[in-house]
Amino acid sequence: MTFAERMLKIDRRIIFLVIGLCTLIPLLYPVGLPIKISPEVRGVYDHIESLPEGSVFLLSLDFDPASKPELMPQSISLLRHAFRKKLRVIALTLWVSGTGMADQVVTQVAREMGKESGKDYVFLGWSPGGTAVIINMGQDLYGAFPADYNGKPTKGLSVLQGVASLRDVNYAVSLGAGNPGVEAWYVFGKDKYKFELGGGCTGVMAPGLYPLLRSGQINGLIGGLRGAAEYEILIDQKGKAVAGMDAQSATHLAIIVLVVLCNLFYFASRNIARRQSQSGA
Amino acid sequence: MLKTSASFVLGSSKSSTYPRGYASGFDSPAALLNRRFEHPALWKALMLLLMTVLSQSWSPVFAQTDIQTKTPLAPPQDVRVFDTPSDGGDSLTVIWAPAPYDSAAVRYQVLLSEGTSVADPATMKVVAEFPANQRYVRESKWPWWTRPATGDQHQYTLRSGRGVELKSGTLYSITVATVLNDERSIAAPGQAAPEPNWINWNQMNNLLLALLFGGIVFYAIGTARKREIFLRRIPGLDAVDEAIGRATELGKPILYMTGAHDMSDPSTIAAAVILGRVAKRAAAYETDLLVPHREPITMAVCQEITKQAYLEAGKPDLYKDDSNFFITSDQFSYTAAVDGIMLRKKPAANFFMGHYFAEALLLTETGASTGAIQIAGTDSDHQLPFFVTTCDYTLIGEELYAASAYLSREPVQVGTLRGQDIGKALILGVLGIGTILATLGILFDAQWPKLFLDFFRDVK
Amino acid sequence: MIFLRRQGPLLVTLITGLVFAAQYYVPHPASEQMLTSVTKWLQIIGGFALVLGVSSLFHVHAAKIRRKEAGWGYSFVLYVGMLGTIALGFWSNGKEAIDGTMTAFGWIYNYMMVPLQGTMFAILAFFIASAAYRSFRARSREAAVLLIAAVIVMMGRVPLGEYLIPISGDLSQWILNVLNASVRRAILIGVSLGTVALSIKIIFGMERSYLGGGKE
Repeated sequence: MTFAERMLKIDRRIIFLVIGLCTLIPLLYPVGLPIKISPEVRGVYDHIESLPEGSVFLLSLDFDPASKPELMPQSISLLRHAFRKKLRVIALTLWVSGTGMADQVVTQVAREMGKESGKDYVFLGWSPGGTAVIINMGQDLYGAFPADYNGKPTKGLSVLQGVASLRDVNYAVSLGAGNPGVEAWYVFGKDKYKFELGGGCTGVMAPGLYPLLRSGQINGLIGGLRGAAEYEILIDQKGKAVAGMDAQSATHLAIIVLVVLCNLFYFASRNIARRQSQSGA
Repeated sequence: MLKTSASFVLGSSKSSTYPRGYASGFDSPAALLNRRFEHPALWKALMLLLMTVLSQSWSPVFAQTDIQTKTPLAPPQDVRVFDTPSDGGDSLTVIWAPAPYDSAAVRYQVLLSEGTSVADPATMKVVAEFPANQRYVRESKWPWWTRPATGDQHQYTLRSGRGVELKSGTLYSITVATVLNDERSIAAPGQAAPEPNWINWNQMNNLLLALLFGGIVFYAIGTARKREIFLRRIPGLDAVDEAIGRATELGKPILYMTGAHDMSDPSTIAAAVILGRVAKRAAAYETDLLVPHREPITMAVCQEITKQAYLEAGKPDLYKDDSNFFITSDQFSYTAAVDGIMLRKKPAANFFMGHYFAEALLLTETGASTGAIQIAGTDSDHQLPFFVTTCDYTLIGEELYAASAYLSREPVQVGTLRGQDIGKALILGVLGIGTILATLGILFDAQWPKLFLDFFRDVK
Repeated sequence: MIFLRRQGPLLVTLITGLVFAAQYYVPHPASEQMLTSVTKWLQIIGGFALVLGVSSLFHVHAAKIRRKEAGWGYSFVLYVGMLGTIALGFWSNGKEAIDGTMTAFGWIYNYMMVPLQGTMFAILAFFIASAAYRSFRARSREAAVLLIAAVIVMMGRVPLGEYLIPISGDLSQWILNVLNASVRRAILIGVSLGTVALSIKIIFGMERSYLGGGKE
């Protein structure tokens, strides 16, 4: 077996080690490279900026702990932005396994910004049914969520004054890690109840949502950790996403180097095989 | 350096060996000034021309200034209020004629009050305000067959919600006001009551296209019953037998997954249909079949399908209820469990059919590390790169739906496939024509292609 | 009996399929109300279906423990984990925290579920690298084009890539917005037509293998 062939069949644990180091070292020693703002992230930011004080902003945290590293920084930035703009925030989740995490993030950011539950924001929690919950909210928000996550009746909450259904929402953003997520909010929410919709998702899902963005079905998209980092820069409050961008840069570069190397070894082994077959003939 | 060069050009225009203005194609300001004294008549004519042009091109601005300062603001004309057609009874629409003063500086207000008698329209509630050069009928989502007025008219649809409550059957007064600075001019209010409708005529295009496509499918099925239709090879499906054969030779089980969605999703139904064929072959070869599930109803349906397949293969005694089993509906817990099954039981063939999310690569890469032959079929386009990279064969997009036709060769299935192809050809044709028309419109700066493109947009 | 297993479900499928296809074209509140009611039924059926799944899970793992199959210890861990979490969930009223204090259920959620799920998702990065190294080869001209596009997008999506090759950011945007979106639309059109065709077949009873295979 030639060197190139041996390298092509390298133990995958070595690759795992390379990726591990490329993630760890930049996290320990950050460089802080400049981050350019993409138009899709700016779309969400600009829309929130354009909303007048007291507008209703709905944030659906449709993810579970697995997607926390990517979607949690997005949630924090969006909540900070909405609270800073003095919007009325309605938060919920369509993923049962994300309920506790969603409650933590909403409560934590609200406390940081000095906001009061029931007056400035409400966390509705989770309700069974997935996409059916969106339809129910479109018909009657109080029927879908008679009480908030803490058991307080939603009817009579000052934050929900004048809000009867999804038709009263000025802007909704779904941070989705799968189904139900951004697409479900478009099909069962925006399309039926006519509110403006933005999206956020994991990096691996982002390319799949570009057709929605291009056709105007969503007015902006925050994709993965990169999108979260851009949003942190836009609201001028750097956090975990910006810190993680160096690690992401290094891993991307490592994968590119690995792909280039594997192709070099592949061509080398193919040339050797061709030469051997020619000399054999 | 640049500045020096420019002043040099200005200063040397008279002494240059080139004709005046040669360098830039236009006369320089210095040259014009010099000529003014050489030819006073020419200068006068030029000034006259300039003033005429200026007076023409700036006339709207002067007119606007005139509106802003002198003439009283006219109220909007031809205001019509009516119940929005094709809705659920929670909106009213108001339409009015465009005005000569329509611009960003002037604004329109939509005013609302309950009941028919309005003593003073100025006391009505302002429910919307926007610049006067916005909200035209042509910008609305109404297709041409339901448009209540020509495209150049203004329109505003007032919906229930965001501080406005419109009750079905209640009469409301609505009007429009023109606003400029502190001045407001209000039109006479019109009355209408929102009523729910039973048919949404705006979506009739969708219904027609669905019926057309349904008709094509039925026609294609009829054709397939009369004569044989050619089906191109789908290597992934040809490999099903090979995979099951290999599992039999090695005495190892087959692992089959139906994806992340429930039975309401067509991709899961397609996966369940293919499971029937795979289970039949597995029964014939007496090979173990493992089907871990994320959704209990899908599990119950797949149990029935597997049982039927074993019955059809003549091996009902080999059927085990436990071959279909539920793990969890949680994405990564399911993935961890299936990865564990792959590493412990080392199945010889893995089938990934249906819809997948981020778990796709975690499953297929683990499967690849055990040396199993892997066949995937998915409509989750965002996971396709991972399947293509790690699986031996991948059914892409609608190939998953075509699988049952390919495996059974029944006229109904094959005809449906042909129907889909005709549908695709139609869409492709329209796309091609649309692209050509849009390009021609830009090339020749013509308006007529827009008529066709608007038609396509409405019918889509 | 055969009616309940065959004709009955087909009839239900035909009626509900046509009614709910028509519902899309009826904006009347009554039609919306019907849709809401049916989605509630679905939620209830989904709840009962979970019993079906959990009983299957218990049955499979009980059999493993009884037969002392290889790895039966894991089945035992499953029983302990599942029953323990259910008990703590009831005890904590299903809440991870009450008045800012973490409950026992919250402890399981925060210190077991969150890191375990995070770990599973994080493995993706390692698997992407190993799968790319093993399979991402320029075997043909098409594969080479794919390879170049992938490198540009990977460069353009991170600050380091944009720093090293400034144009990579714009290029990757163009690839994602134009090439990627167009190709995905093409796949989506195909998938949608396939979905509509399959739905038509199911509604009119031409496709019935999902009911348990076999032809009448």
